Amino acid sequence: MGAGIAGSYIGYLLQRVFLGEDGRKSRLAATHTKAAKRMRSELQSLRGPAMKLGQTLSLHSGVLPDELLSELTALQREAPGMHPTLVRAQFKTAMGRRPDEVYASFDETPFAAASLGQVHRATLKDGTKAAVKIQYPGIREAIAADFAWFRAVSKPAQVSGHLPRVAIDELEEQIVAETDYHREAANAQMFRAGLKPLPYMSVPEIFPKLSSGRVLTMSFVEGEHLDQFLARKPSAALRDLVGERLVEIFYCQLLRLHAIHADPHWGNYLFRDNGDIGLIDFGCVKHLDREFVEDLQAFFLYPGSHDSPEYKRFLETRYQLMGRKITKGAERALIRFADDFYTRVFPPEPERIDERIDFGDAALLRRYLQASQELFKSKGILTEYIFLARAEIGLYQTLHRLRARVATSRIVRRFID
Amino acid sequence: MIRRKAAKSAAGVRPRPKRAAPRRRAELKETTRANIVRAALELFQSKGFDRTTTKAIARKARIAEGTVFNYFPTKEDIALYFFQLELDHAIAAVRGDPRLAKAPLQEKLFALVHSQLEYLGPHEKFIGSAIVPMLRPTSKLGPFSTSSQILYLRYVEFVEQLMDESLPKDQTSVTRLWAPRAFWLFYLGIVLYWLHDESEDKQDTLALLDRSLTITVRLLFGGPRR
Repeated sequence: MGAGIAGSYIGYLLQRVFLGEDGRKSRLAATHTKAAKRMRSELQSLRGPAMKLGQTLSLHSGVLPDELLSELTALQREAPGMHPTLVRAQFKTAMGRRPDEVYASFDETPFAAASLGQVHRATLKDGTKAAVKIQYPGIREAIAADFAWFRAVSKPAQVSGHLPRVAIDELEEQIVAETDYHREAANAQMFRAGLKPLPYMSVPEIFPKLSSGRVLTMSFVEGEHLDQFLARKPSAALRDLVGERLVEIFYCQLLRLHAIHADPHWGNYLFRDNGDIGLIDFGCVKHLDREFVEDLQAFFLYPGSHDSPEYKRFLETRYQLMGRKITKGAERALIRFADDFYTRVFPPEPERIDERIDFGDAALLRRYLQASQELFKSKGILTEYIFLARAEIGLYQTLHRLRARVATSRIVRRFID
Repeated sequence: MIRRKAAKSAAGVRPRPKRAAPRRRAELKETTRANIVRAALELFQSKGFDRTTTKAIARKARIAEGTVFNYFPTKEDIALYFFQLELDHAIAAVRGDPRLAKAPLQEKLFALVHSQLEYLGPHEKFIGSAIVPMLRPTSKLGPFSTSSQILYLRYVEFVEQLMDESLPKDQTSVTRLWAPRAFWLFYLGIVLYWLHDESEDKQDTLALLDRSLTITVRLLFGGPRR
């Protein structure tokens, strides 16, 4: 399989010697598409970590070529499931009993495919509606093998600087962590407590006695996925309200809880007609250092010029605190990021606090992706940023699809002041 | 003997209904057989297959060694009987699950092999210790002995049945002969892997079984790609 995908790139590298610039570009696009299609089909048949990897990368718009992304995005929707007999077998090895002995009712057909497992509806013996997440067998052991394979096939992207090695390391570490359902349970409980001040927010309650390292039983959170929510043509006011709340949820996590739900694919946000929002799946949570968060606050709403020596010193100090030395490339990329994106999305001037940013504007998202790509390419990126970027991309893409207009500065300041 | 029975009746012992005696005898026989098998399996598991003697089995089952021979001429016959029970259990598990009736072949085969492994689970050390003796040409457990051939054919026949009911008729004609036999080898391979699997709760075996069945079913039976 690995050789098959690497093969397409080798074909391209050979052809580039003989093709002109235009031909080379179209050939490269064709190669990406071919490789992406094959990669997607192989990742799907593998199920599990490789698919998770595909899903993760599919959110890294701007990091990978667009052709590769459109194929990988399909992974978010198409996931092969475990058949009922395997579900029963896997449940029994984790819990020591069959699902029908543990729950009053258990639906053997999954209603959602999580990337490292799948989710089933169940009713607890006291009548509570529940969602039961069951992990695919052998997933932890398979991750190392899949990453070894991925490191090999993504060599072209690593060489070209599209996919820095540090990004792959960070992804592997995080995906390994996602297989520990005890940790996910602790994350969910932390978020449930931490997001309580937001009354419109629901986070599932975990039932520890009905959970283990590979099975997670939690209360069922009602709501629809973004596609279904949008299909019913919600009013502009409702879209704005939901957008505002999404921004509030995001910055409450980041600036209050110092942790972000960094698996932002749209399936994890559930929307209701009254504007309430549910957040599920706490496998991928990035905990951030206090210093990093404090610096971010300054970064979002930095009032002065980004080209000033003060700002450069600020960036330098920020890197020093994280034990890194900032490169010239990273400095340039960060200044552009602040100029092109953050000052537009978070106007720093106090008098513009109520200005509503129109996320329906595709140019805004493009700016973010361009700036993000440049930062990745600069090879000076802080690893914390990789997951922050993953979460931010999810947020901005969702806001864009909602065509929401949000007074971002006002919301962010609420958590800073 | 008849006279002795008559004498007992005369002495006031309640006469048993005529048909109950053979049934009772059969029950007693089954109980003894089960005791011997239980004792043997415990010893196979704790001491290993080779180091277990029929004398030790008899002592553990609290019967005379001669009685053991009445039921099983050798300890290999006890092991064969165990494998027969294992297959009975697995076939019953597949047939007893109404949800499997309409399941694809891959899922039925998964249920078959998984039930077998579940049955073997508590006896892992015994299975591991019996592998080398199984390879002796004179062993009744060896793949070419008449006794194990009977088991093998029952297995193959059951896989054939599953295949016949799950695949279109024209698809089965060519592969019917060799595919179930090859599947038996696949099963042995899985058991070997399972024996050496040190992952938590043998998760790797479950994953291997699931993933390799997709390919195996496609290769052997020409089943659809999932």
